[in-house]
Amino acid sequence: MNSIAIFGEIVRVTLRQLLGRRRTLLLVLLSALPVLLAVAFRMGGETDIERFTRRIFDTVTLTILLPLVAILFGAGAFGAEIDDGTVVYLLAKPIPRWLVVAAKAFAAVAMSIALTGTSTLVAGLVDLAPAGQDGISAVLAQVVAVVVGSVCYAVLFLTLSLFTRRALVIGIGYMLVWEGALSSILPGIANLSIRQYSIGAASAIYNLSVNRTVLVPADTAFLLSGVLIVAALIIATWKLMRFELPGGSD
Amino acid sequence: MTTLPTPTPTPTPTPAASLGATASVTPTAPIAPTAPAIELRRVARWYGNVVAVNDVSFALGVGVTGLLGPNGAGKTTLLHMLAGFLAPSAGEVLVLGRRPHRDPSVYRQIGLVPEREAVYPFLTGLDYVKFNARLQGLRDPEGAARAAVARVGLVDAMDRAIGTYSKGMRQRVKVAGALVHDPQVLLLDEPFNGMDPRQRIGMMELLAELATSGRTILFSSHILEEVEQVGTEILVLVAGRLAASGDFRAIRALMTDRPHNVTIRSSDDRRLAVALMADPAIFAVELTESGLAIQTSQLTAFRRLIAGVSRTAGVRLLEVVPADESLESVFEYLVRR
Amino acid sequence: MTAPRGDSTGTRTGSIYDLGYRHYEGKRNGRLYAMWSLFVESLRGVWGFGRPMSAKAVPLILAGLYALPAVVQLAFSSVITQQAAKSGKAPELLNYQSYFADFSFLVFFFCVAQAPELVCRDQRYSVLPLYFTRAMGRIEYALSRLAALVLTLFVVLLIPALALFVGDVLMKPDAFKAIGDELPLALPSIPAGALAALVLGSLSLAISSFSPRRAYSAIGMVAYILLMEAIPAAIYSIGSSSGPNATDKLFLLSPLTSLMGATNWFFGVPLSPNDFAGTLTSAGYLGGAFVTFAVATLVLMYRYRRLPA
Repeated sequence: MNSIAIFGEIVRVTLRQLLGRRRTLLLVLLSALPVLLAVAFRMGGETDIERFTRRIFDTVTLTILLPLVAILFGAGAFGAEIDDGTVVYLLAKPIPRWLVVAAKAFAAVAMSIALTGTSTLVAGLVDLAPAGQDGISAVLAQVVAVVVGSVCYAVLFLTLSLFTRRALVIGIGYMLVWEGALSSILPGIANLSIRQYSIGAASAIYNLSVNRTVLVPADTAFLLSGVLIVAALIIATWKLMRFELPGGSD
Repeated sequence: MTTLPTPTPTPTPTPAASLGATASVTPTAPIAPTAPAIELRRVARWYGNVVAVNDVSFALGVGVTGLLGPNGAGKTTLLHMLAGFLAPSAGEVLVLGRRPHRDPSVYRQIGLVPEREAVYPFLTGLDYVKFNARLQGLRDPEGAARAAVARVGLVDAMDRAIGTYSKGMRQRVKVAGALVHDPQVLLLDEPFNGMDPRQRIGMMELLAELATSGRTILFSSHILEEVEQVGTEILVLVAGRLAASGDFRAIRALMTDRPHNVTIRSSDDRRLAVALMADPAIFAVELTESGLAIQTSQLTAFRRLIAGVSRTAGVRLLEVVPADESLESVFEYLVRR
Repeated sequence: MTAPRGDSTGTRTGSIYDLGYRHYEGKRNGRLYAMWSLFVESLRGVWGFGRPMSAKAVPLILAGLYALPAVVQLAFSSVITQQAAKSGKAPELLNYQSYFADFSFLVFFFCVAQAPELVCRDQRYSVLPLYFTRAMGRIEYALSRLAALVLTLFVVLLIPALALFVGDVLMKPDAFKAIGDELPLALPSIPAGALAALVLGSLSLAISSFSPRRAYSAIGMVAYILLMEAIPAAIYSIGSSSGPNATDKLFLLSPLTSLMGATNWFFGVPLSPNDFAGTLTSAGYLGGAFVTFAVATLVLMYRYRRLPA
């Protein structure tokens, strides 16, 4: 019971930390973009599922919004505290380290899902609700993809931020180079691509892939993302137990 | 946290002190008479090729101890090892008989005030202290937090965001957060940084008071007068090595190869000067605006001597002040050796 | 020791000591020299010279990544020639005009990683006033930093062109004739590279200057570039089934698309309808790239004029 209270307290403070004023405004604007585009589509008379998926969900939400937001929150949950030195206040407490990792990861994932999930849901409903049952399935599949992606990106880069201060830049590199460029040249790395896990997981409900081919089947996608999440959390806990502060300016 | 242990009488510091790598400054601890609260056994810590702390041993019991040293001496490294945020490369660090590294449960008994100034700027002072209380798993976080805020004298500002605090207030709110769970051991890294003299005195009184109620307090500083006013017990760290430990006046007395300076004002300085020059323990006498400046090799012997000499010379002593008993001069001496 | 200026014989009088460092009698080099110094210092900063190895690793790796395809082709040029001779077909090679279009995201990633290095720390640690109270003004500061980044990017952009040039020359039997043949093909890389360096440099520095934290600057740049790619494409696609429409002008918002189009202008190659939807000409994209450069530079200067120091 006490653990729950502690968990809640860490989550609360982390959320306030991640929600800087200007930063949040920028991210909210970014998240609103798919919705605005969806409204433009609707007014232009487009309700075609595929076109919507390709033009908005795939190019904007899945390749830009989701990784940017999830990596930012994931790398920032510990990263900002380590940069400032406030992480000491968190760690000089008789709390098991897995609980600290779990609370930080929860906060980062929750923020990411709150922004990208809402954006995806609203944009999808605006455009695809008239498309009937198929449209609803497509929207649900998109939400599943965003949720799976949020958890994977956030947890992976949260763990990385415990090892290097440049986790965010590495995250952007991963997103641009690995998922963006290399995966189109080398289809073999699909099994190591969070974007492909998202599309794969969503394919349990609806095929969201732009070229109709799902590179990672749904069950494999769930399995791989599960392994990724658990492994990342264990490594993060292991690293946090050995966390060392620098000697300081002393 | 609202009730503190019944105050025990201040333990009289042991006058014994020694120079050298291994020393013990254990005043008789009323709570755990057998085990010292903090113990280092031949501890070393290096980063790659750089040795930050080198073969340091000491033990501390209840009371306030100042950890002194110039910048880069390894004070922060030492405190981080005590706080469990660094593993010693060699030797053993014990806090209340346990190794703090990788053992979060020791934090129930440790309060840490880090050197870096940043505190969550978006929380109010009270919220921040409550945050600490909740993470410590205290039963009444609200009550404990209010009591701790009151202790450091921040009640007026406790509902303001920490981002609006001055440096001194930030230091105090950090201290409040560190003592909210009433720890047995309090570690403070440069706690007086950014405080004005009045706040400094307040903080020193608080530390002294906490020590009186049976706690072990270790704070680091590179400003000597701070230490001089709070703790007479000091540890001097120079280039990672323990250069001296104990009561600083006792340490001073051990430094016989260095003349002591004493300033005297009397009814007739000139006559007293003539009388003093006859004694072999006196190296030099100088007449100055503010009195007689005297250099002597033996301070205790000089105290006995001056009384006799002035009486026979018929001079009335107005004031006898050891001019360099300040920690600064002690410290300079140790650093230069 | 210099003698005190005050009267030191009396008791308890104040004295002012001339310690000898108050007066500087030498020549003052002025603003341009200050800008030059900051420019040199910034160049060293971008490449991590005078910093630990880890600071050099990121720029060198990223610049190396951009040049990698060209260097690989250079390394295998003899093998490629033999293969081509055997099969009798002309080998499919990387060419000057499409290299930027193919790999520009790597140059952009270089900007994401290194532009914040130039401007964020000065804001974070509040050292800007130290610059502005010297011979350096706010605008001079911004322009010096910009010049260093632009020169850096220009070098990064030209390395692969040089590698391609050397490779192509070596593949030909007659090297001197080959130089004469290749040079006109390769030369447009220089103005095209300069334009790309100006646009990407000014844009990334302008965005970076809005946050004292490197992380948020980087996120801002990625968000801006990617969205400027995606939004026009999405809007244009709404009515595109009935042929090109007026919204194709929105493509000019995308810095990378504009630069790709402008590159074609320098090389005198027509735009392929597969890569460039809409009715814009390569001259139109060239204009768009210049406008982006001008706006970004103005925003950068505006930002530094307004920054509290």
